Amino acid sequence: MSNAIYAALARQTGLMNEMQVVANNIANSSTTGYKTDRAIFAEFLAGTGVGKPTLSMGGLAGHSFDMEQGGLRFTNGQFDLAIQGEGFFLLDTPQGQRLSRAGHFQISQDGQLIDGTGNAVLTSGGGGITIPEDARKISIAGDGSISADGELVGQVGVVVPNGELSRDSNTLFDATEGFQAAEEPRVLQGALEQSNVTPVLEIARMIEVQRAYEAGQSLLEREDERINKFISTLRQF
Amino acid sequence: MKSLQIAATGMAAQQLRVDVISNNIANMSTAAYRPRTAEFSDLMYQQYLTPGTITSQVGTIVPAGIQLGTGVKPSTVSMEITQGSLRPTGSELDIAIDGTGFLEITLPSGESAYTRDGKLNRSSDGQIVSKDGFPLTDSITIPEDARSISISGDGEVVAYFESETAGQSIGNISLVRFVNEKGLEAMGDNMFRETEASGSPNRLVPATEGVGIIRQRYLEDSGVDVVQEISELIEAQRGYELNSKVITAADEMLAATTRVR
Repeated sequence: MSNAIYAALARQTGLMNEMQVVANNIANSSTTGYKTDRAIFAEFLAGTGVGKPTLSMGGLAGHSFDMEQGGLRFTNGQFDLAIQGEGFFLLDTPQGQRLSRAGHFQISQDGQLIDGTGNAVLTSGGGGITIPEDARKISIAGDGSISADGELVGQVGVVVPNGELSRDSNTLFDATEGFQAAEEPRVLQGALEQSNVTPVLEIARMIEVQRAYEAGQSLLEREDERINKFISTLRQF
Repeated sequence: MKSLQIAATGMAAQQLRVDVISNNIANMSTAAYRPRTAEFSDLMYQQYLTPGTITSQVGTIVPAGIQLGTGVKPSTVSMEITQGSLRPTGSELDIAIDGTGFLEITLPSGESAYTRDGKLNRSSDGQIVSKDGFPLTDSITIPEDARSISISGDGEVVAYFESETAGQSIGNISLVRFVNEKGLEAMGDNMFRETEASGSPNRLVPATEGVGIIRQRYLEDSGVDVVQEISELIEAQRGYELNSKVITAADEMLAATTRVR
């Protein structure tokens, strides 16, 4: 087949993947603490045979997360927390410690601070947080320290990852290169961070992807016609 | 074409949100109703190239890798623990709880149910019962010849008789507190049931340990904030439309693919 078809097919596959990224962003436009995903494309060289020149093609190379602050939704919930600025909450999941921006917390039946799926919320040192059962008024200060009726009972950890993050489901991130306590955490009680997806940008990107895909498809069609014509011309001899 | 399924999960999520909102709006006049909010989280990611994979002998690693998301799922529909406003009713058997506690009532099956709806009544045999006729677990009977009754902040029920000036204590209403109220299971009719997640009920004297004070002649209003619900409803509707646009675009891309011979 022609090299044009190979290059176009690689591009079409990439566009399909990018469409999936856009679809996932839009599907998560109401997910608390969700961060927009951007696909990164890069050129790669493919071999076309021994002793033949290589062919340059484009493919999906990675992602970057848009870590911009999402809008705040005020809920007045006692254990609804939002982080302003950098940092993540630290959670103890069955897969290990994970980071998250979704601060929709509650208390377990044994008094532990947990997230909506039951993972324990940790201090930046990695310990659990227990809220006294008879506490009347819980207030959580900007640095994450929790006081029950005026008495300090723990501190919600806010950590900053050392390197790149990898995504997990449930708006969790895995810091493969570790993390450290944030220097100046800013926690807000009674609010949740909304998804930072900007629908207008996503729709624009989606249209772009769709049109590029159609252009690729018409290139394939024309390339097909060209080869057909070439073959029928050959037959005339 | 996974985008189609992803957008479908998005539409289903927004649909669920509308369901939750419409139930809130439908209960905007239900005494002591606590609004629910649907929360979502992203679904699992397909790992094409795991971040941190080594790509060369000198130890170059993939910084972000290739992870493609597969949509959204509802994570919780949680109850907001907000105190509704108190409405004076003048009726002596109306009580509102100014705090976090619940009234405990006994169902015909012997099981306990919990409610914040303090619209109480007197049964034919003088017992204090809930709106649906289930007796308070504290079992208080009002004497037939009682002229009026008063319920104090700490739950003491005092009956006054025609012949005497001083009242006579006929029982105490206690309140119940749960470690995790959000873990209670709603059973309809304004009642809740304890679950593994809520923890066991802790019976307390009103006005102690933050369980709340009883206010006689008041009822707690529904906690639904209609303005907020309507704005959420519009947001959910737009979210639904956005996802349907993705379906259209993904479908057109598929159509372009099938056009090729």
